[in-house]
Amino acid sequence: MPPHLAGAMPTMNLTINDRNVTVDDAQTAPGMPLLWVLRDVLQMTGTKYGCGVAACGACTVHVDGAAVRSCVTPLSSLQGKAVRTIEGLVGAGGPHPLQWAWAEHQVPQCGYCQSGMLMAAAALLEANRDPSDADIDAAMTNLCRCGSYPRVRVAIKAAARQLTQRRRAVNR
Amino acid sequence: MKRRSLLLSGTAVGGALLVGWSVLPPRSRLGQSALWPPEPGEVALNGWIKVARDGVVVLAMNRSEMGQGVHTALAMLVAEELDVPLTRVRLQQAGHDAIFGSAESFVGFLPFHADDREPGQESLAFRGARWMTLKLARELGINVTGGSASVADAWGPLRLAAATARARLLGVASLRWKLPVAELEVRDGIVSHPSGPRAHYGELAEQAALSPPGDVTLKARSDWRVIGRPAQRVDLADKCDGRAVYGLDVRLPGLVYADVLHAPMLGGSLATVDVNAALRLPGVERIVRLPPLAGATAAIAVVGRTTWHAREASRALSVQWRAPPAGPLDSKRIEAALEAAARNAAERQGGFSFHSRGDSLAALAGAAKRVEALYRAPYLAHATMEPMNCTARVRDGKVQVWAPTQVPGLARDAAARVAGVEPDAVTVHVTPLGGGFGRRLEVDFVAQAVRVALETAGRPVQLSWSREEDFTHDFYRPAGAALLRAGFDAQGRLTAFEAHSAGDALEPRWMERVLPALTGPVDAPDKTTVEGLYDLPYAIEHQRIAHVATKSGVPVGNWRSVGHSHNAFFVESFVDELARAAAVDPLKFRLDLLAAKPRHAAVLTLAAQKAGWGRPLPAGRARGLALHESFGTIVAQVVELSLADKQPRVHRVVCALDCGVVVHPQGVAQQVESSVVFGLSAALYGRIDIDGGVVKQKNFPDYPLLTLAQTPLIETHTVPSDGPPTGMGEPALPPVAPALANALFVLTGRRLRELPLAPLLA
Repeated sequence: MPPHLAGAMPTMNLTINDRNVTVDDAQTAPGMPLLWVLRDVLQMTGTKYGCGVAACGACTVHVDGAAVRSCVTPLSSLQGKAVRTIEGLVGAGGPHPLQWAWAEHQVPQCGYCQSGMLMAAAALLEANRDPSDADIDAAMTNLCRCGSYPRVRVAIKAAARQLTQRRRAVNR
Repeated sequence: MKRRSLLLSGTAVGGALLVGWSVLPPRSRLGQSALWPPEPGEVALNGWIKVARDGVVVLAMNRSEMGQGVHTALAMLVAEELDVPLTRVRLQQAGHDAIFGSAESFVGFLPFHADDREPGQESLAFRGARWMTLKLARELGINVTGGSASVADAWGPLRLAAATARARLLGVASLRWKLPVAELEVRDGIVSHPSGPRAHYGELAEQAALSPPGDVTLKARSDWRVIGRPAQRVDLADKCDGRAVYGLDVRLPGLVYADVLHAPMLGGSLATVDVNAALRLPGVERIVRLPPLAGATAAIAVVGRTTWHAREASRALSVQWRAPPAGPLDSKRIEAALEAAARNAAERQGGFSFHSRGDSLAALAGAAKRVEALYRAPYLAHATMEPMNCTARVRDGKVQVWAPTQVPGLARDAAARVAGVEPDAVTVHVTPLGGGFGRRLEVDFVAQAVRVALETAGRPVQLSWSREEDFTHDFYRPAGAALLRAGFDAQGRLTAFEAHSAGDALEPRWMERVLPALTGPVDAPDKTTVEGLYDLPYAIEHQRIAHVATKSGVPVGNWRSVGHSHNAFFVESFVDELARAAAVDPLKFRLDLLAAKPRHAAVLTLAAQKAGWGRPLPAGRARGLALHESFGTIVAQVVELSLADKQPRVHRVVCALDCGVVVHPQGVAQQVESSVVFGLSAALYGRIDIDGGVVKQKNFPDYPLLTLAQTPLIETHTVPSDGPPTGMGEPALPPVAPALANALFVLTGRRLRELPLAPLLA
């Protein structure tokens, strides 16, 4: 455990990317959003700050499997919850199908919003293995200034196809 | 003032250098091996290229990656000439030697008409000015990732550097094996001969560094295996798993975080501040007053244990701010004044003339039909996804800076000025940029970070702006107005065109902020104010294009495609109006005026063909087109849209372009998609209002951007070319707004002459 997590006053226990994490009260501040705990306390900088008002989605992570915007999610609401960040999107079996698709379809440009895009897309595929265009439109409200949107759409569909094939292979 | 005096004033920028410049020896563009910091196991073959022991090629990367794919495109040039796979090219940040400076971006500033610049048929005056500018720029060595010029700049020197390195490596193999160079073969960085001997570059490099290169020739196009072929971006993997370390992601031992709170009024200052409440908050370390630095408005920085601690404490500050001496800015008033200035200039033939031919006044007076229209564009923010930030450490007289910057050398100079040290004492680490779009051509955030780092006793500090500060303290795309006039003769031929525009000159303001040493007391005419307006490709006999340069006091800067961003909207909407006035199809109308411009005509024709121009559409849909050249690249777009709930729904944007040789095809397509989305956001929604000195748009909900759900199908078609590569980061942006407005005209019968468009339809 990193030294800054080994303080004397553990107040919050949560799971981040399948690892138990205790966050010391002295490191945080009242009302501190998860985003800043991840970035500035735990030094997990894959999750990005973009707006601070849940408008852009650059800070998207999963809490108990659902996509949330960590810039407005107080740490205090996460006792006992499971958080997954972009650093934990790579699974035991290697990169997430979305990460393959992201590379295959060359989605990122500046890349700053892509952690949030990927986490939003991963939550979508968790809930919906075969999303339609309308489903993708509704779920992917993250903002991107480089215009990666068309490739995000194509890559989500490609990953969905791959997941379906995998599932079929397992069922067989 | 005529063009000649204009050129003189333009080159006066480096006037002092000109004196001694003619006696300087020709500068080697390959640079010396000594430019590399020594690293064990690596051998430098010139200023650009090193070879590692395992044969990996290391490229000195002088350009910043902000999404535009420049790291990939430049690495491809090197992979091509050295015959190594792209994955065997490693990038290392270049130093500050003049060979890494920009040249083509500065040529782009020259106010020459398109007719003077036509590739292969350049005028003598342009060739002379270009030669002088390139030479001057290479002496200055100012490194700018901007002006869509990176690939154009690298095309010559980088391929030559790689080819020279290759020739040396082959020379060594030839000597070692006593076999002629012509019989050697290179594949994947392995030199071999059919008779058996093989060696990879790493085994040849040490000796190669001591050998002359012999004959160096660049590969013939027919031998290219990398250029123009599909390639995976070199920065892709790190951007798919959160590993990429942007400026905001720099983490150093002992790092503290600073939040910046500027005077809310642009140009305002600090009157009084009560810091006690803020300092009592946990995790708050100190509070630093920031004077106006590098063009920034005065501010207060709060240093805390985390960004959140610092930001919460800024909110607890009790501050009295002062308005700027000239009073609070008001964008409504400024925009009205610009409109009046444009009308006034038209009436009196005032303003600075950037181009005139024939006698436009007489032609207009004698015209059988006249068309006149006033166009307007608002201020715009850059809104990079990664807000402004910089990390700095000042210790033992040395300054370290980690910055997402488009101008590492200018950032170094700014840091040195603030810290009171020589530039040599400053190290700038360029991180990936979470978007640039011209905002990171500024060094305000670098100067601020160093100023705060002077107060943290050697501890590194990460200074960052909240999104609200980022929106309200940008260097905005200037607002503009243009009165356009045209006349047709009795035969219905378009014979006269006048443009009278008004708006802030921006490059002199940028120079004041980033290059104060080269700034004179008088503004040189700023070509960016009229770019895309004064250099029309259309054959029109009588023309006058003049601009009234204003100085509103609003901080203005370079915004993706700069002057083209609004001038293309003005002129390509107006040309559409002229086609309607002549009762000619807008495509045919343009093609008729492009008889002497085959490249433009080819691009326009390709876009029209691919979009099915003239073919029927479903009810409720319409097409609009626009053609625009910028940064050497010719782009035509056809927008197809409908209306839903009085709001435009863009279904498809077909883009055709001629950008010379295509180095990275997916990179070109990505830049088209990027520019179209960026351009649609601006054309539909983008506007910054300043009321009582304060910017009203503070976060994304006030400054809507296009979303994924609203994004159309975007197609990219390139015209094959043998010309050298030209810009791609910006040129596909300018035609978006006029193509959109022209399609809306077809659909609604309303000519929208003001941006943004969406509020006009609501």
